[in-house]
Amino acid sequence: MSATVTQRAEPAVARATAQRFGTWYVTEHNLRRLKNYGWTVVATAFGTPLLYLFAFGVGLATLITQNRGEGAVAGVDYLVFVAPALLCTAAVTVASEEFTYTIMMGFKWNPIFFAMNAAPLQPFQIVNGVILFVAIRMTVTCGIYFAIVAAFGAVQSPAGVLGVAIAVLGGLAFGTPLMAYSASLTEDRGQFAMVMRFIVVPMTLFSGTMFPLTQLPVGLQWIGWISPLWHSTELARVTSYGMTEPTWLSVVHVVYLVALAAVGWVLAARITARRLNK
Amino acid sequence: MSTRSPSRVGGVSALSAGNARSVVYRGLLATKSSNYLVVLSGFFEPVFYLLSFGIGLGSFVGAVTDSRGDEIPYAAFIAPALLAVSAMNGAIYDSTWNVFFKMRFSKLYEGMLATSLGPLDVALGEIALALLRGALYATGFLLVMQVLGLNLSWWALLAFPAVLLIAFGFASLGMAITSYMKTFQQMDWITFVMLPMFLFSATFYPLSVYPPVIQGVIQALPLWHGVELVRGLTTGSVGPWMLVHVLYYLVMIALGLVFTTRRLRALFLA
Repeated sequence: MSATVTQRAEPAVARATAQRFGTWYVTEHNLRRLKNYGWTVVATAFGTPLLYLFAFGVGLATLITQNRGEGAVAGVDYLVFVAPALLCTAAVTVASEEFTYTIMMGFKWNPIFFAMNAAPLQPFQIVNGVILFVAIRMTVTCGIYFAIVAAFGAVQSPAGVLGVAIAVLGGLAFGTPLMAYSASLTEDRGQFAMVMRFIVVPMTLFSGTMFPLTQLPVGLQWIGWISPLWHSTELARVTSYGMTEPTWLSVVHVVYLVALAAVGWVLAARITARRLNK
Repeated sequence: MSTRSPSRVGGVSALSAGNARSVVYRGLLATKSSNYLVVLSGFFEPVFYLLSFGIGLGSFVGAVTDSRGDEIPYAAFIAPALLAVSAMNGAIYDSTWNVFFKMRFSKLYEGMLATSLGPLDVALGEIALALLRGALYATGFLLVMQVLGLNLSWWALLAFPAVLLIAFGFASLGMAITSYMKTFQQMDWITFVMLPMFLFSATFYPLSVYPPVIQGVIQALPLWHGVELVRGLTTGSVGPWMLVHVLYYLVMIALGLVFTTRRLRALFLA
């Protein structure tokens, strides 16, 4: 596709191709940009899951088994219990990286979204391209994560591989509303630090990830109910080790995640369009 | 630097004008006008971890045997560790990210060193700022621990200076390391060193779950000494062996200060 550009096509032709394949161009641009911090991506994609698995799946699991015996948490080994949560958390982490400063940069510090819009790409193509790219990055990260988790023997059912797709869906359900918020910001006054501190960190800690949600006082359980991470983790537990859950609840998880992702997506596209067409 | 006055040649006087407080004052002014909310909110992070692990997970784990063989509730076991971790994080973020920005982007130190300030003033001033922030978090977190009944001994009062010692150690070393960083991506390696240290330094479970070789490696790392020191104080299992932890940090501080001052001099005054 990029060959068309180097061959210096007629402006009208170039314009038509850009308009036609706009979304893919944006995705491609982002994938190329990833090369700038490629080693970080590789190191974190492999290193982080290994570290967390050792720390919680092995280290903490030893302590829990010592104190409470086998199958103390939800009837399975702690490693099996915690692995789907770590998988889903990885997607949320990618989302919180890619949908915050990067979005503000595209509008403000290195306003490439305006350049793309003049290219001429439609605002919705820019948004779609970015979201597609993040979905790809999540899939790769979670794919690696899943392979490592499976190598640890923490996946009991072949259906567990669906956990990758579930994690990506959960990541998008959290990420697209965040993208809409980031697109609406014009000044950096530490909002992203606040998002990390008061949304991302509490979400990863209180979404039934390290322990079942019911362990928390009822006053705190609502955090899980509204948290996309809780919904995706519960779904991933169903596919990974057959956690028993009423079917209607599984349906609620899927519907909630899809709805969040869709609403966020539409909002992000609208806000971006309004801002670029100013 | 031909304009330097002759009295500043040689010895410590060549490195310092004894005016680190103006660096601190400038830092406080800058914080007040820009990111004080971000700074204050840092207090909540260890509190969230404490609520999640201590209360949520704690009921699964029950009691834990500490390194001295005493049984303590899980929340009382991890709370001091989180306090030590927050001292490390606060000091590292202040002395790496903030320093990196000031060094590479706003060129703040070049401006400071063009005045009568020397590299040791700048280093001490920046470290003092990191310590002030650490002191703020430590006070808040120790109060939370007190309210939740997780301070098991009066020795817990000494946890406050212990936290400052930990923060001092990490801040002085962190600043020296930051001086080698050239891009934002390299900064990610700092996170990459800190994450395993955070996860494995007997923070969430006792060291005894590891094989002896790994135990030895962890015991060589600074955070483990910090965790053991603070945990000993808040749980009241105190003894002369804790002086080893203190000594570890004193050496770290001394090395870090020498290292940082030399780097600042090499970068800006050579």
